Amino acid sequence: MLEEFYRRFPSVLMARRNLTRTRMRSLLASLGIVIGVLAIASLGMFGVALQYSISENLGGLGNQVIVSPNPEADVYNLTERDVREIRRVSEPGTTVSPVKQRREPVSYGRGENRTDFVYGVGQPAEVYNATEGRIPEPFQSGALVGQSVADEHDIQPGNTITVNGTSVRVRAVLESSGSFSQLNPDNRIYLPVSSFEESNYAQVYVTAESGTAANETAIAVRESLNGREERVRVQELGDIVDQVNETFSIINTVLTGIASISLLVAGISILNVMLMSTVERREEIGVLRAVGYQKRDVLKVMLMEATLLGVLGGLIGVGLSLLAGLAINHYTVNDATAVFRLINGAYLLGAFAFGVVVSILSGLYPAWKAASEEPVEALRG
Amino acid sequence: MTVIDAHGVVKRYRTGDQTLEALKGIDFRLDAGEFVSIMGPSGSGKTTLLNILGLLSTPTEGRVLLDGRDVTDLGDRKRTHLRKRTIGFVFQHFYLLPTLTAVENVEVPRLFDHDPNRTQRAEDLLTRVGLGDRLDHRPDQLSGGQKQRVAIARSLINAPKVVLADEPTGSLDRDTGRQILDEFRRIADEDDVAIVAVTHDELVNEYVDRTVNLVDGLVGEEALDA
Repeated sequence: MLEEFYRRFPSVLMARRNLTRTRMRSLLASLGIVIGVLAIASLGMFGVALQYSISENLGGLGNQVIVSPNPEADVYNLTERDVREIRRVSEPGTTVSPVKQRREPVSYGRGENRTDFVYGVGQPAEVYNATEGRIPEPFQSGALVGQSVADEHDIQPGNTITVNGTSVRVRAVLESSGSFSQLNPDNRIYLPVSSFEESNYAQVYVTAESGTAANETAIAVRESLNGREERVRVQELGDIVDQVNETFSIINTVLTGIASISLLVAGISILNVMLMSTVERREEIGVLRAVGYQKRDVLKVMLMEATLLGVLGGLIGVGLSLLAGLAINHYTVNDATAVFRLINGAYLLGAFAFGVVVSILSGLYPAWKAASEEPVEALRG
Repeated sequence: MTVIDAHGVVKRYRTGDQTLEALKGIDFRLDAGEFVSIMGPSGSGKTTLLNILGLLSTPTEGRVLLDGRDVTDLGDRKRTHLRKRTIGFVFQHFYLLPTLTAVENVEVPRLFDHDPNRTQRAEDLLTRVGLGDRLDHRPDQLSGGQKQRVAIARSLINAPKVVLADEPTGSLDRDTGRQILDEFRRIADEDDVAIVAVTHDELVNEYVDRTVNLVDGLVGEEALDA
C-alpha cells in the first residue's frame, strides 16, 4: 500500500528518504514544531478548561437580578412598596425574595458569642433547597443555616443555636448554590422575616426563569423604581458572567499568541535546516535538473520535505497536547474526558494546521533557492 | 542521420570586468549511433561544449540544432523538457541519490511521470548493464564501476537519442573503465544512441568512432591554424 502511495506521490518518497538521511537533524527540526503545537494547543485548552470551571460556578447566575438601595441617593433600604412594585413589574414565573439583614451576637453550642449577619427571608423554600432537614413552609420559626456554617460548627437539624440570647432550633441545612452569587446561603444564617423589627428590606433577590426574562425584569425594575433619581441599584449577574467570559477569551487569545511565537522560532529552525540541506545537496539537485526535472519538480520535492517535517511535528504535538489536555481537565474540572469538547478539537486542529503552514512557509525560500540554481553551476561543485 | 548539429558556437563568460571566451566558434555534428570523444587539456572548453550540447546552457553566438530543430533560443522550461526526452547524462562522480536504491535511482528521471512500466523498464536496463542482482542496493553498497553502470542505466531510462558523458572513466580503474566503455560501445551499436564522452583518458579512444580535439576553445585543426 505504501509502495502504491509512493508511486502516486513520488515527491513524498524522495522527501522522506532525504529526511531520513540526516535523521537527527530532521527530528530536531520537527521538535520545534512539536513544542510550538504543544504550547498553542495546551494553553488554548487550559484556557477553555479554566473558563469552563469558572462558568460552571457562575452558571446559575445568568437568571438572577439583585435590587439594592442606592446609598448615594440617600436610600438605605427598600420599603414594602418597593417590593410590591418589583413583584408587579417582574416577568411571570419570577421569584422575588426580599431579604432583611442585621448584625447579632450568635453562639453555636458551647462556643462563645460572635457577631454575625443574620438574614431574614420570607419564603426560603422558593429559593433554596435543603441538604439536611426540611425548609418549613411558611417559615415562621427556627433557623436555617448554610452548608459552610453547618460544617464549621458541626450543626445538624434539631441542634440549637443562640441568636442575641434567644435559642433557636435549626430546621434545615441549605444547599450551596453558585459560589459567586450573593444568593449563595453557604455562610449565612436565616431567620424568619417576622423576627425582624425593622420593616424595610436590605435587598431583593429576583430569580427569573431565564437569562432573557431576568434582563427584561431588570429593565422594568429600573424603569419603575428609578424615576428622576437613581434610588435603587439593579445588578444583573448575567452581566458578570458575560464579563468573565470576555476576560477569559482575551486571556486565551494573548496566551495562544505568545505560544505562537514558539512556532515562529520552530519555523526559523526549519528554514535553517532546509537551507543547509540545499547547500549540501547542491550537486544532487543539479543532477535532477540535468536529467529533466523542471524547477517546479525540485520545488515540489523540497516543499514536501518541509511539509513532512511539519506534519510529523504537528502529529506528535497534537498527541502530546491531547495528553496534556487530559491532565489539565482532570485537575481543573475533575473530568479528564472534558477534553473531548468541540472547542478543544478546534484548538488542536488549529495548532496542527498552523504548525504545518509555518513549516511550508519556512520551506518556501530554501526550495525556491534550490529550484532556481543553474544546473551547470550546481554540477561544477 | 544527424542528431546534433552545432555551428559557429561561441561562449563568453563575464567574470568581473574580464570577458573569458571559452568557445571561439565550434562546429560539431553528431550522427545517430556514433560514439565520439572530445579530448583536450583542462580549460580547453570541453565541458562548456558538453553543457551546450546537453541544453544545460546556451551559446553566446552560433546555433544548435537538435534532431533538426533549432534549440538555441528556447527558455528554461522547454529546454528542460527537451533535455529529458532526448538527452541522457553520465557524470564522472556518478551523482546517484544516496538514499535511493539502484532501481529507484534509474527511475529518478521519470519519477514524476505516471508511467506504470517505469520500474520494469528500470530493472530491465539494470539487468542489461549486468546489475540484475543489485537492484535493491543503495549506492554505498555498490563499487565505483557498478555505480557508473547504474548511472548509465539512468541515462537510458527515457530512451534518449544522445548520451553525454563527462569523464565517465575518470573515477574508475583501468579495467573497470574498459567495462564501462564496452557498455557505451554496445549501447551505441545496439540502440543507435549517439554518445559523446568528454575525457582526458586516452583509453576512450580505443572505443570511439572519432575523436574531436579541443584546444583553447577551437577544434583541433583550426586551433593549429590559429
